[in-house]
Amino acid sequence: MKINTEKEQTMEGKQNTEGMKEKKGMTASEYITGLLRDISKEPQIKNGKNGELYIPLPEKEFQETVPVLDREEFILLGLFCVQDFEGENEEKGENEEGGEKGENEENEEKGGKGGKGEKDKAEAPAFTLFYAFRKRGFSEVFVFLHPVKTEASSIAKTFPSACWYEREIRDGFGLDFPDAFDKRRLFLHEAYPEGFHPLLKSFENGKIRTIENPQENYPFKRLEGEGVYQIPVGPVHAGIIEPGHFRFSVIGEPIFNLEIRMFYKHRGIEKLAEGKPPAACLPIAEAISGDESAANSVAFCTAVEKLAGLRVPERAEYLRAVLLELERIHSHLGDLAGMATDVGFPRITSPFLILREEIFRQNDVLTGSRFLKGAVDIGGMKQDIPDKLLEKLASYLENFEGRFEKAFRTAMSSSSLIDRFSTSGVIKKKLITPLNLTGPIARASGAAYDVRTTHPYGIYGKIPPERKVLSTGDVLSRFEVKAAEVRASRALIRKLVLEIPAGPVLCPPPVAGIRDGFALSMVEAPRGQTLHWVYVKNGLVDRYKVRTASFCNWKAVEHAVLDNIVPDFPLINKSLNLSYAGTDL
Amino acid sequence: MVNPLTFVFRPKVTEKFDFADSELEEIGSTLKKEIHHTLGRSLALRELDTGSDNSTEIELNNLSAPHYDISRFGISFAASPRHADALIVTGAVTHNMAQAVKKTYEAMPSPKYVIAVGDDACDGGIFKDSYAVLGGVDKILPVDMKIPGNPPSPREILKGLLAFMRQGSR
Repeated sequence: MKINTEKEQTMEGKQNTEGMKEKKGMTASEYITGLLRDISKEPQIKNGKNGELYIPLPEKEFQETVPVLDREEFILLGLFCVQDFEGENEEKGENEEGGEKGENEENEEKGGKGGKGEKDKAEAPAFTLFYAFRKRGFSEVFVFLHPVKTEASSIAKTFPSACWYEREIRDGFGLDFPDAFDKRRLFLHEAYPEGFHPLLKSFENGKIRTIENPQENYPFKRLEGEGVYQIPVGPVHAGIIEPGHFRFSVIGEPIFNLEIRMFYKHRGIEKLAEGKPPAACLPIAEAISGDESAANSVAFCTAVEKLAGLRVPERAEYLRAVLLELERIHSHLGDLAGMATDVGFPRITSPFLILREEIFRQNDVLTGSRFLKGAVDIGGMKQDIPDKLLEKLASYLENFEGRFEKAFRTAMSSSSLIDRFSTSGVIKKKLITPLNLTGPIARASGAAYDVRTTHPYGIYGKIPPERKVLSTGDVLSRFEVKAAEVRASRALIRKLVLEIPAGPVLCPPPVAGIRDGFALSMVEAPRGQTLHWVYVKNGLVDRYKVRTASFCNWKAVEHAVLDNIVPDFPLINKSLNLSYAGTDL
Repeated sequence: MVNPLTFVFRPKVTEKFDFADSELEEIGSTLKKEIHHTLGRSLALRELDTGSDNSTEIELNNLSAPHYDISRFGISFAASPRHADALIVTGAVTHNMAQAVKKTYEAMPSPKYVIAVGDDACDGGIFKDSYAVLGGVDKILPVDMKIPGNPPSPREILKGLLAFMRQGSR
């Protein structure tokens, strides 16, 4: 039954997952059919447009499947709700592609012929919950579809990371999880009136009446005992950083418990995308998290391209990878500098900041934006980047190398820096699977997972990145892993620039426009696995679900700070470098 | 015993940072003069993020990085609104931040100024029509200067600050 027992590291060390499956002699679809053999006779597995599998399960079968997924160590990547989801549209979309003329008749005919589709629609439950999982050894994402009406059962007791997702769904759709252990509101804070659920189709996006001067009444977990006291921090912090609230319970200096409250920056990104044509959503994707705009725009565009069946020209795939790696470099340089700053070491910070500013300027030369905004487009790139500029970039990166190594050596030869970094803020490996921790922080805690190699996209299937995996999981490991990733990205860009083919950078848009369909895409952003799911209905985005790496990784900070002293919190937090904007949406 | 003069004449611990940007120096020195003229000595800024996409924060932080190093021009970032002359607000104001924005502004001593930095802070930007935001900063605070951009570069922010100081001296 269980088809793979190999360790993740060896499994994922392989670049060619196709070959691996052949060896096993089992496709993802066969595997899941076998797994559900005792639960569902004939699961209606559908292949998604980007290699993902959709497996619809009614209530009873869903209930029985959850423990199986837990036993088989499936990892919950995301959980989201869609209102009035019509899986049928997928087929309709294909029909339309076949012939533009008379599409209405065709659909009517289809409805009349079977009569089944219509009946299903009338009885269809209002909401569909999408549970996206991954399983070690498979590059495909397994998405279980669970139709629900007004309430659903919580899976947070089995998959702890589901807690935030379920709270998010309750806020967004008013869907209740009666057996959930945490029923507090998540992204709707005190200013929002009860009963307001912005993601319901019945709510038309626009200004709402909020509660004036709301009183804060968020019940934080209370820890009591002799000498335990609370330190509330935020939402406004002392530095130039984003807002969020940290509630520490401490005994003296050591932190006994930390509870975070986020979503102060909730801007309504998902709702904002609804009802807009896909191209109009690109600036929204770029605004999810400013320092990850390339990652999010590539993830969004990939989802749209897949659902519309567009093929991105090879040159554009190379250029996208160059931008994604530049973004990783500037993000990581900021972290390396920030970690040194947080132990009061400007001598070590400055060289990293100088390099970072140079990368921002390179970004500006290549794309006209220091944050690579407006460079990526649906179907490829908005503009070609001339070879001359790419060569200049490559020669700059030659010069970068030695200076970066010098800066890194200076840092690593400081005993007081090592003293602060070492053993601070440890993230245990056992947290990685239940919380779906990804990115450099997981790679510093012994997990080899990287979207670029496990679920390759764009050019990464052909040109995979080098990876560095450490197992200590402390601030020092994260410092080293991030430095190694700067090196790897630098090497990768040089390779890309050497091999980049000539050719167009944008594929022509489909004649009929982008009409119907849905697809899931994942990108390895600087902070880790970023997941986008786009559902287009009649040419307009009907649902856009974004889950950045930070949404999952934020939970890690609550664990990493335990038993550390309060003054080390800024350092630990910086070493995790989590995006508030990317979480709050 | 070590001759104390060796500390004075030994090579510097930090290496030299060769970086010349005459335009930046020009903006900076004018700004310094304006600050001196209007405020006496220095300009203390307090940053408040009310819903930005975090790129504006990065650019504001970059102002203190070696290429810009704006403390040379008499500008500092204060850790508390109580120590600030002006509040720099980034991002469209979300409902979840509205209360904190009011409290932060109230905590500042008078006279106090508000500078909106970035397109979203100026008028709500792409989030203008979202249920989750009030709109630009001027929906909740009196704004004295708007510095647009997505995000504005450090140089553009400096130019904006110069315009703000010139406006103040008038």
